[in-house]
Amino acid sequence: MQRTEIRRKPRNRFRNLLPFWLILPTVVVILAIQVYPAFYTVWLSLHQRQPRGWDYVGVDNFQRLFRMGVFGESVGHTIVFLIGYTTLTLVLGFIIALLLNRKLKLSGLYITVLFVPWIIADIIVGIVFRLLVVPDYGLLSGILQNPAIFPPNGISVLTASRPPSWFGGFPFPPAPAMIYLIMASAWRALPFITLLLLAAMQTVSNEIIESSRMDGANGWQVVRHILIPLMLPTLVVALFSLTLGGMNGVGMVFSLTGGGPGTSTEVLSYLLYVLGWSQLEFGRAAALALLIAVVNWALILATLRITRVEERSH
Amino acid sequence: MFSISRRRLDAWMINIALVIICLFALIPVATTVLISFKGERDIIRKPPNILPCDTPESAFDPSACRWSVEGYQRVLAPRPSDGLLPFTLTGNIVRIYIPNSFMYATSTALLVVFLSGMSGYAFSRYRFRGRQAMLVSILAITGVPLLTNLLALYHMGVNIRRAQLPFYDDRLFLVAVYTGFFLPLSVWIAKGFFDAIPRELEEAAVIDGCTPFSALLRISMPLALPGLMAIFLLTFVNVWNEFIAGYLLVAKNELKPAMFGLYEFLGQNIINLQVIAAACILIALPIVILFIFARRTFFAAMMEGAIKG
Repeated sequence: MQRTEIRRKPRNRFRNLLPFWLILPTVVVILAIQVYPAFYTVWLSLHQRQPRGWDYVGVDNFQRLFRMGVFGESVGHTIVFLIGYTTLTLVLGFIIALLLNRKLKLSGLYITVLFVPWIIADIIVGIVFRLLVVPDYGLLSGILQNPAIFPPNGISVLTASRPPSWFGGFPFPPAPAMIYLIMASAWRALPFITLLLLAAMQTVSNEIIESSRMDGANGWQVVRHILIPLMLPTLVVALFSLTLGGMNGVGMVFSLTGGGPGTSTEVLSYLLYVLGWSQLEFGRAAALALLIAVVNWALILATLRITRVEERSH
Repeated sequence: MFSISRRRLDAWMINIALVIICLFALIPVATTVLISFKGERDIIRKPPNILPCDTPESAFDPSACRWSVEGYQRVLAPRPSDGLLPFTLTGNIVRIYIPNSFMYATSTALLVVFLSGMSGYAFSRYRFRGRQAMLVSILAITGVPLLTNLLALYHMGVNIRRAQLPFYDDRLFLVAVYTGFFLPLSVWIAKGFFDAIPRELEEAAVIDGCTPFSALLRISMPLALPGLMAIFLLTFVNVWNEFIAGYLLVAKNELKPAMFGLYEFLGQNIINLQVIAAACILIALPIVILFIFARRTFFAAMMEGAIKG
């Protein structure tokens, strides 16, 4: 009796602590690579690099960032990009999901083919789309630069500057390069969004749709009054995830336009790179990183809330 | 959704629409493949033609096609050698950057599988204080993109480099950063896969005299293997495709990954589109082939991740 009691104790303690040991490495890695840098960014944003070290400057970095003309311009570009990108991807993704939402013999093949863009790196997608519109030699340039098709002078996507703005300084209508960037980004994001929406669509029961059919609703009415309301949480989650990805995706800008022509595709994520790594303005770059992070966190928390609400309602 | 009499017709229309959509999805890929097989003479033509198959007499003559592997030759830069193979590939992309990417992707994926396997199991099987809070925090961190932490990570990297630790170089730091960023999602995916394995199996093993830890190793791990494989593949692809961290966090060019090699290449070959296209194909091909053969695994991991995040 006594002996088993003694032998059991350390084993029990180890057993109780097992989950702790299993989780510890993960927690350490996440603290070091995700949490610590977040605080470090806050610290950086309040300091300024001097030859002898870092000086505390308070909110000076933020004030200097806001005073930069490029900052306001980049906010405008980011808004234009995000509106175009999310709208285009959601609408196309919804339509493709609607088409795939039947029992088709070839669905598996379609999904595999449609998914190829998702697996390709953003930097490669940027290059692939760039090759199509390289001035004079790109395959699409032959059509786009033809004055007979696009009067008066044809469009050269990579070199045409932004048309005069309609509302003060706001960059709308965007430069052709921005529209092209939106299309390329949407092309890459579409598969994921399509599959997300398809999964949500398949949870909408057929009985609801068929009974509304019986009551004489047409296809559009079914979509408008049944599918969209029932899929609303997923649509919002998709919108937030696109916004997150769009705000932070910088690879495509790098390889497709490099922020140009001029600054017409310089979005906030690219400005962060310009400030932090080519102008070496660490303080201002950290202030910008912090602003982007705050928007990210708002989106993440909103998404968490929505998925929680959804879980509760199911 | 539509009445029965029209069902067959509708199915046809939908199939046609989907085929057209698939073609649109593939056009950019197909044109890149086409460009990569053109010679310089056909690349710098105005106006550009889609296939290099025209002759002065006719617009399309299949027998006159001028396909060329010049682009691939210039990326691979084969030189004759007297080793095991009659030639060696001396292009920077195949000699330096692709092996680097392979090393980063493999080591990160292995680390992530190991760590997320352990913690996913703990989250799935044990109820302990702070479990829910930790899970929600990990879920929230999953959404945090690399970009906003990059500046701080860059300065951390500079500080560590300055300390001149023995055996340390930027490769270690980059793998740590990738692990930190792809781990949170994987923890959720792993937890989902472990949740699907019935607890009773382990309990039976423990009753038969197994320790909980060896029950984990002998019973749950083999059953969770498809899930862990999915995490491995997803992480591998994510790291392979990542550009900005590999570009900014590593100081020496010869330690940078393939996506940087491609970006560098883009600057060196402004007119030689066939060379750029060939480089893109060579770097993307392994991933596309991997995806086509393992698509079920990918989708399983993705849906597991998408439902939560």
